[in-house]
Amino acid sequence: MSLMGIVKRAFRFAIDHYVVLPVGVIAALVWVQADAESFFRFSHAASFAVNEVGMALFLAVMTKEVVEALSAGGALHSWRHRSMAIVAGAGGMIGAALTYFAYLKAGDELSVLGPGWPIPCAVDLAFCYFVVKGIFGRHPAVSFALLLAIVTDILEFLIVALRYTVADVHASAVALMAVAILAAIALRTSRVRRAWPYIAIAGGLSWVALFWGGLHPAFALVPVMPFLPHAPRDYGFLADPPPEAHDPLNEFERTWKYPVHIVLFFFGLVNAGVLLQGWGTGSWAVLTAALAGRPLGILLAVACGIAAGLHLPGRIGWREVVVVAFGSSIGFAFSLLVATQAFSIGPLLIEVKIGALLSLCGAFVALVLAAILRVGKFSPSISHGSA
Amino acid sequence: MRRSVTVLLAVVLGVCQLLAQNRRLPNAANSVKFAVIGDNGTGDRPEYEVGAQMARARASFAFDTVLMLGDNMYGSQEPADFVKKFQQPYKALLDAGVQFFATLGNHDNQLNRYYRPFNMGGERFYTFAKRNVRFFVLDSDSLDPKQMAWLEEVLKSSTDEWKICYFHHPLYSDGGKHGSAVELRVVLEPLFVRYGVAVVFSGHEHFYERLNPQKGIYYFIEGAGGQLRRGNIVRSEFKAAGFDQDQSFMLVEITGADLFFQTISRTGLTVDSGSIHRGGL
Repeated sequence: MSLMGIVKRAFRFAIDHYVVLPVGVIAALVWVQADAESFFRFSHAASFAVNEVGMALFLAVMTKEVVEALSAGGALHSWRHRSMAIVAGAGGMIGAALTYFAYLKAGDELSVLGPGWPIPCAVDLAFCYFVVKGIFGRHPAVSFALLLAIVTDILEFLIVALRYTVADVHASAVALMAVAILAAIALRTSRVRRAWPYIAIAGGLSWVALFWGGLHPAFALVPVMPFLPHAPRDYGFLADPPPEAHDPLNEFERTWKYPVHIVLFFFGLVNAGVLLQGWGTGSWAVLTAALAGRPLGILLAVACGIAAGLHLPGRIGWREVVVVAFGSSIGFAFSLLVATQAFSIGPLLIEVKIGALLSLCGAFVALVLAAILRVGKFSPSISHGSA
Repeated sequence: MRRSVTVLLAVVLGVCQLLAQNRRLPNAANSVKFAVIGDNGTGDRPEYEVGAQMARARASFAFDTVLMLGDNMYGSQEPADFVKKFQQPYKALLDAGVQFFATLGNHDNQLNRYYRPFNMGGERFYTFAKRNVRFFVLDSDSLDPKQMAWLEEVLKSSTDEWKICYFHHPLYSDGGKHGSAVELRVVLEPLFVRYGVAVVFSGHEHFYERLNPQKGIYYFIEGAGGQLRRGNIVRSEFKAAGFDQDQSFMLVEITGADLFFQTISRTGLTVDSGSIHRGGL
């Protein structure tokens, strides 16, 4: 293979696996240890542009994937498939939140760190997907994990958008948000087949409404994306749409795919810079809640679901559920995002950020458990070589 | 007879300790006098001993104010704990009408700002003045935009001769456990420099440290009012003086353009002292 071919393949891999985010995280960690003052000056200067403007695009891409998966023809359309994953997702959140509170209750920092309970509840959709897919390949466990993560993050979005205000809420902003939604509906009923009017008009109004209303404008496109007309079928989670897909939802993804990766790089760079001395109670609380509370909550919820008459999807047993539960304990970028909404500048924010970053360990735990339980690619029924 | 001997011994001991404290402050009439404690609210014996030492100091240096630098209460913070961890250790001072002005640390329940003897007026951040000195009390747990806007406004509008800030987390520290809160420094220090803050007190590190002036501002850490992290000060270019072998508290006196300070250990030894002239060394 030529050098150009190798570079192209590496670039393709980096885009497909959202590699730019961990690269940004590593760059931030190196920079902050080397020269903390210059790093924090940069991160404060870039914070608003990245966290409240750029991340609106990333959250829009994630919402697009969710909209497609849940729509008619989507992989997760059927309620029959959804029910257990919804129960498991809710159970994971409850488990994470209760563990977070229980950990803090044992000490004396519940009062200051308590508002951070949604941090370990978040699931990094992309990382969860890549880890579970890496373990299971083409297996129903991947769809199950994906829906579990989506349900969790939908609930998480609602909690974060409504709970953490950055300024005094203006009632008139609610009216402006209503105008934004009505604009999106009007565009849809007028059969507008381009993405940009939805983004520029409805999205713009929504952004201003959230900013004005004291809510976080990073979520501006989340209520708008469901109104974009989309293809009658889902091309798969985080998969490239084919060239013939000209619907506004896929047009949006094609247009913003690469800019979103730039945003993700800067998101990692701006938010992940933590001094290692910043480790504290908040780090332990987030980590314990993500790596222990969340999986335990999922397993208990699934057990309750089965007792209530729900069924796990075909080919998924308890061993697969255990691996999925730990694979979905990765909060990473989503937890970082929630952390920046939950706490302002200060040592508490640094503590919980460290916990959010270390929730990546969930991937390692899931891999080890998959090997121990012999599921997915570690299953003895899968042949790995020739006779 | 036996009682008389006991009283006599107590008096002699008190005099000896006063001599040991070896006052280094001018003790001028009409000066602003205050004490500084941090990370004190353990309810354990060292906190009581520091409280007793403060009461002894007040016998010859009549401060009327105590700055509390956060972590005013550790562990359980029920009504009985306020008695054990605050009212009893500082009973002599409270009975004498000394006012405590607290800031919140990471171990403090946020609701403690409503505890009347802490004089926070229910606010996470507030300001108060004593003659020519204005104190700005911040909540460094979380520097939200609202607090930053407030701080800039009050610093800008203050015409007081001395501007002193205090909050829990130190912007500069040689502590091996926590170290400097660099992110807070990047946000706060430009305001301090712009609006002429002269002195900053913080806690969080469980020792006493005086740092070399940074951008013209004098930084002190006093986080050993009850807690102690023995031997935790790491040598660096920041440190001017430090004491991490015992609990301690500070006495401060401001007269005109001069600030005098003296740091006293739990056993009454003076471990640091000096003066600062506003507008220069």
